[in-house]
Amino acid sequence: MSLSRIKGLLLQEFYITYQSLEVIMDLLFFSIITTVTFGFFYSYTSSTDKTLASYLYMGLLMMEIIRITQYTTSLNALWNIWSRNLSNLFVTPLSITEYLAAQMISGAVKAGVIFVLISFFANWLFQFNIFSVGILNLFLFYINLVIFSWSFGIAVLGIIFKFGSRFSAFAWSLVFLLQPIMATFYPVSVLPKAIQYISYSLPPTYVFESARAALVNPSVNWYHLSISFSLNIFYFVLSLWFFNQMFKASKETGQFARNEG
Amino acid sequence: MADLCLEVNNLRKNFGTFEAVKGISFSVKKGQVVGLLGPNGAGKTTTIQMLLGIMLPTSGVVNYFGKNFSKHRQESLQRINFASAFNTLQGRNTVFENLKAFGLLYEVKNLDKKIVELSEYFEITALMNQRYWDLSAGQKTRVNLVKSLINDPELILMDEPTASLDPDIADKTLTLIEKLRAERNLSLLFTSHNMNEVTRICDEVIFLDHGSIVAQDTPLNLTKLITKAYLKLTFEGDHKKVESYLTDKNLKFEFKGKNTVAVETEESLIPKIIFGIGEEKIWVLDIEVEKPNLEDVFLTFARKENKTDVT
Repeated sequence: MSLSRIKGLLLQEFYITYQSLEVIMDLLFFSIITTVTFGFFYSYTSSTDKTLASYLYMGLLMMEIIRITQYTTSLNALWNIWSRNLSNLFVTPLSITEYLAAQMISGAVKAGVIFVLISFFANWLFQFNIFSVGILNLFLFYINLVIFSWSFGIAVLGIIFKFGSRFSAFAWSLVFLLQPIMATFYPVSVLPKAIQYISYSLPPTYVFESARAALVNPSVNWYHLSISFSLNIFYFVLSLWFFNQMFKASKETGQFARNEG
Repeated sequence: MADLCLEVNNLRKNFGTFEAVKGISFSVKKGQVVGLLGPNGAGKTTTIQMLLGIMLPTSGVVNYFGKNFSKHRQESLQRINFASAFNTLQGRNTVFENLKAFGLLYEVKNLDKKIVELSEYFEITALMNQRYWDLSAGQKTRVNLVKSLINDPELILMDEPTASLDPDIADKTLTLIEKLRAERNLSLLFTSHNMNEVTRICDEVIFLDHGSIVAQDTPLNLTKLITKAYLKLTFEGDHKKVESYLTDKNLKFEFKGKNTVAVETEESLIPKIIFGIGEEKIWVLDIEVEKPNLEDVFLTFARKENKTDVT
């Protein structure tokens, strides 16, 4: 593992990010608009049911960690495919481990920075203090959501490598398929029994359940968070295995080289 | 073995039942420029992609500098590089930002100094802060060449590096490549559709057709595979005598005017024909001989005429 190569990719990602209006809009603009729009909604509904309003607003803010990490993990490949530069990267000594490590670091950093930023906005503009759940809790929530998003992003990346950029929309949309069943805004108990089993197989479910409980009692729910972490390890290993299969298949079929058209 | 940069043994690629590359073998020595030629669909790009590791071969062995590529991928890629007209750099980033990122990927020491030196050599200093996608085709080619030299490679795989360039810029690019080769004893594996370029730059040419090597030799020796030449004579005298002489000798000819005739013949027979026509009391005013070039060889193999396996 070369730190220089990881730095090279992170630098490329940094240059793309600050020079691309699309990325700035997708990441910063979308997050801020969500924070502001639902901040007003929080202000409006909190006078009648503060708990419900807090559940919704907190879910939205924490969902941004998932969205940004997963988007960043998957999207660098697309920027390079669209620039016909992906092959250039992979004919250097860059290993796939270094490539994934760089995307994961980039995703975690962007999600962390934007989450802190929108959390301050929420507190400053709408007096919603997400830090009231406790810094340790928030840190553990962040870690678990980031690992889940890495796994999801790596799996999406594998699909893009294997089947080409026609699946590029997965990079910014597929994760929302899980939003209704991972109890982002409401307790798992609301879901039909069969769906609850699926919900409990997803690491973010335990994070969102813990977060809602922490609004009342900010002590750490180690039981829930350790289940979330264990599931995360399982999905992370599964996503790496899946990605490797997809990557190998894309090099066998020639799709990897054809991705650039 | 020690002076071999690249050794390819029985490299094969199948897509289902279709055989894109049919067990080809060749090598590139240190300082040697080898041209990989062939019509569209011959298997050139597939071969290059396998040599770069972005496509997995069905079977066969690729060795760089005596070491197995699949087992020593990173070490091999550290010592080679790639330039192509079809792969561009990150369009949103500036030239400097692209070169910086690639320099880090190759773990280049004193990277900023290296970028300055190469950009001065290739006269792209003024472009360093321009976005890559704003450059002209010629500028992009020069930047791609700088990228391909950033790690001081011993071998560069070039896939049609001058495609889409106008003749002037293509000539300048080729001159730069020749200069680099002379100064650094670089080895090149070079694909192109431009036969003049190949004749000019390559020590050895490999013709691929339908995934197989159909010819492999120096450009000069390859042109000798085509024995036909064209003789154009302008003369003074009775053209019927010329016609009669050429008919008697069973030669293929065509009058291009009353006193000009074009004859298709073996190159070795040309002196005899000129002498023979002179003996018919015909005064030869002008002689033009068109010898076969690499393009004729290319067309011959591409059209499957006179196919000769010389591998």
